[in-house]
Amino acid sequence: MANKIIRQKIVSKNFEIPNSHKIDVALQNGRYSTLDKAFSKDPQELIEMVKQSGLRGKGGGGAATGNKWQFVTNKDGTKYVVVNADESEPGTFKDRQIMEFDPHLLIEGIITTCYALGSHVSYIYIRGEYEEITEVLQGAIDEAYERNYLGDNAKYKVDITVHRGAGAYICGEKSALLESLEGNRGNPRLKPHSKTEPEWYFDQPTLVNNVETIATIPFIVENGAEGYRKFGTEKAPGTLLFAISGQINNPGVYEEQFGVNMLEFLETIGGGVKNGKKLKAVIPGGASTPIIPAHQIKDVTLDYECLWGFNSELGTGGMIVLDEDVCMVKTLKNLMRFYNHESCGQCTPCREGTSWSEKILDRFMNKTATLKDLETLKSVSTIMNGKTVCVFAPAASGVIDGILRHFESEFLECIK
Amino acid sequence: MSFIFNEQNNKKIEELTKRYPKKKAMILPILWLAQKQEGYVSNEAIKEISKIVEMPYMHIYSVATFYTMYRLEKSDKPIIEVCRTLSCELNGSEEIKKYLDNKYSDKYKIIEVECMGACSGAPMCTLEGKYIENLTTTKIDEVLNGK
Repeated sequence: MANKIIRQKIVSKNFEIPNSHKIDVALQNGRYSTLDKAFSKDPQELIEMVKQSGLRGKGGGGAATGNKWQFVTNKDGTKYVVVNADESEPGTFKDRQIMEFDPHLLIEGIITTCYALGSHVSYIYIRGEYEEITEVLQGAIDEAYERNYLGDNAKYKVDITVHRGAGAYICGEKSALLESLEGNRGNPRLKPHSKTEPEWYFDQPTLVNNVETIATIPFIVENGAEGYRKFGTEKAPGTLLFAISGQINNPGVYEEQFGVNMLEFLETIGGGVKNGKKLKAVIPGGASTPIIPAHQIKDVTLDYECLWGFNSELGTGGMIVLDEDVCMVKTLKNLMRFYNHESCGQCTPCREGTSWSEKILDRFMNKTATLKDLETLKSVSTIMNGKTVCVFAPAASGVIDGILRHFESEFLECIK
Repeated sequence: MSFIFNEQNNKKIEELTKRYPKKKAMILPILWLAQKQEGYVSNEAIKEISKIVEMPYMHIYSVATFYTMYRLEKSDKPIIEVCRTLSCELNGSEEIKKYLDNKYSDKYKIIEVECMGACSGAPMCTLEGKYIENLTTTKIDEVLNGK
């Protein structure tokens, strides 16, 4: 059974307070109040707490955060805490809300994370397009230095540097992000053989966590693991900043506990499909998650496990709503153009596969495609899946397969 | 023509060296400073950055060409970037692009870009980096003629 929509606010509590990004307002509204409690605990105690809370990475992957922390502390060396604020998945625009409306919550989370990991250096890797948000965030960091929450005179020394990307979707992939942070092209690295490896920044053990994940830490420190587990599902505790865009009446970002019904969420919070039209499909968690057709949506709950059951993913929770008039050929063309543009070019199946797919889809758009084109598109998708360094090509492959699984008839109509 | 960073940027570079474990990590931030100073990243700037971070010219060049936001050519017009990814397309970005092309391409350089993370404000564009959301033809006229 689906969870109730309760609008529980864990990270978005202060979003609507005027000037919430300024430190005096932030302090009046509880920011930095969890630090003393965090420092009173042993770092390992904090890691255990995060493990018990069941907190999962909110950037799309949903990996267990506590384990990731442990992998870093298990290694010797200088520890780095890197915040992934690259947020480039189409349909995703949630982390920017935290950085714009409650940057001190993120800073507070970073300080505690650094303390738990024994790190004194943190980088926030923010996408280059967020120039205006970078200024707000930097302003908040400057204030935190002035008030000695950061820097040499802080109770626990942490230095935060905001590092601006420069327009590359792939840098949201954590190993590509670290390559970029080292001053390289953003080419993803080969995955380690062991699943207990941390990431590495200049060969030092490093944590990469999403903005919202880190911003959840102060709540867990204050309310304990059980306090966080009150919300969400057994396997996906807590809340997520869900985003809705596309053909919907109330596009925006809304925090909600995991496990609520997708259709109910879109109708009550999202206000239903725009212009009174009928729903055709929803891309559930950013462009890279396979599409769900309308007739299945009433059975979908917004948590990782349920979406797997529909051959899809929860991803970032950024839902793109498509109405009854949307052409699926055009939708797939739009998405494959995106993947073709953003492929880093390192692996042949991805570089060539995304480019081929876009060209084939152009023929469907012009209604000059043949049955052979459809076969080729399917075979390109198979070739892209599981044969590359990172998950970019498999994601593109999943997008093709998802649309063809439910809407192949529209492609057949475009065959000459 | 050679390139040198102005005094303000030199100070920023000095500050950056304290922030990273290796000089190489400063390449992206310094490329941003160069672009801010000149409006684009010139070949001479790449040579200068290569000296500062003690890395080969070709490495800096390969980094500068990987990231779409570094502009390697100077634009004599202000730049408008129109998002074309799905949520914007579903809300009419193609018409917005056509309207801009027809009416404003003599005064502005109009380019298409992929998702800028402002999907609730679709369709959207940026003008010299600033986000303008919920675009309509009327809003475009207001913003561009109001300048």
